Amino acid sequence: MAVDQSMPILVVDDYKTMIRIIRNLLKQLGFSDVDEAADGTEALSKLKERKYGLIISDWNMEPMTGYELLKEVRKDEHLTRTPFIMVTAESKTENVIAAKKAGVNNYIVKPFNAATLKNKIDAVFGD
Amino acid sequence: MTTAKKRLDGSAETARDPGVRRDWDQALRYVTQLASASTNAASSNYELLYSSLYAEFQQICHEIKNMRIAIASLQAHDLKNKRLPTVGGELDAIVEAVEEATNTIMESAEGIMAADPQDQNHVEQVSDHVIKIFEACSFQDITGQRVSKVVETLRHIERRVSRFAEAVGMEEMELKPCEEEEAREKRRGDLLLHGPQRKGEGIEQHAVDSLFADPNAGED
Repeated sequence: MAVDQSMPILVVDDYKTMIRIIRNLLKQLGFSDVDEAADGTEALSKLKERKYGLIISDWNMEPMTGYELLKEVRKDEHLTRTPFIMVTAESKTENVIAAKKAGVNNYIVKPFNAATLKNKIDAVFGD
Repeated sequence: MTTAKKRLDGSAETARDPGVRRDWDQALRYVTQLASASTNAASSNYELLYSSLYAEFQQICHEIKNMRIAIASLQAHDLKNKRLPTVGGELDAIVEAVEEATNTIMESAEGIMAADPQDQNHVEQVSDHVIKIFEACSFQDITGQRVSKVVETLRHIERRVSRFAEAVGMEEMELKPCEEEEAREKRRGDLLLHGPQRKGEGIEQHAVDSLFADPNAGED
C-alpha cells in the first residue's frame, strides 16, 4: 500500500525542537500536513477533533506519557486502527516489548536519521 | 501501772543488769560497724558510678566537639550560598546556549531547504546559512567548559560529604522515602521511564527491528 502523503500526521513531543526536526524531515519526505501536541493529553484531545493517518509520539512526557497515549488510542474504538510510531530515547528492551504488546506499529530510538524515519513509515504502511 | 510502762520499767531493769548491758554494748558496736561498712561500700560504689558517668560525659563532649569540627568543615554556607547557586546558574546558561544554537542551526537548515535554486544568489544564500551553522556549533566549546565547572563542583561536594561521613563515623541507614517520592518512583517503574541510556547500555535500532520482526519476542 503506497503511503498517502496528504494524510495528516500528529507529532507528539514535549520538546519543541524535536517537533520542528520531525516536521522538517516529514516535509522532506513529502508530508506537509503535520499537527503537533506537547504531551499525551493534548494529543488525545486533538485526536478526538480530527482524523489522523499517523501518530508519531515520544515516550517520556508529562502529564501523559507516549506509552499511556498508545494504550488510550488502542482502547478507543474510533482510534484503535490509527498507525502509531514511537520515537523515543527509551532504549531498553523492556520498553520496546511493552510498546509492542500495547500495539505500537513501529519503534524508533533517538537519535535517529531521516532514512530511518522514512523506512519505518514505509514499513507501517506496507510500502 | 500500764502495760507499756511495765515493759519500759522491765527493760530499764534489764538494761541495768551488767551482763545484759555488756551484750547490748557489743550489739550496738556490731550495728555501728555494719552501718559504717554499708556506708563505706555505698560511698565507694557511688564514687565508681560518678567517675564512670564523668568519663562517659567527657567522651560525649569530645564526640560533640569532633562533630562540630566535621560540620564546620562541610562549609555548608559556602555550598548553599556560593557553589550550588553557581551550579544552577551554569546549568541555566547551558540550556540557554544549546537552545539558541539549535534555533540558529534549524533556521539555517530551513533557509537552505527553502532556497530557490533558480535564484542567481542561491549559492551565496546557501553559503551564508552554512556559515551560520558552523558559527552556531561553537556553542559546544563553551557549554563543554560550563559542564566541566558543574562536574568539578559536584565532585567537590562529594569529597566534602565523604570526609564528613568518615569523620563522624556515619553508617548508611535506609531512610523511608516520603509518600510523594514513593509515588514518583512507582510511576517511573510502572511506565518504564528510564530516560536516555549511556552509550552501550541501551539497544540499537537494528536490535529494536529484530524484536519487532520476531513474533515471539516478549511472549511469557
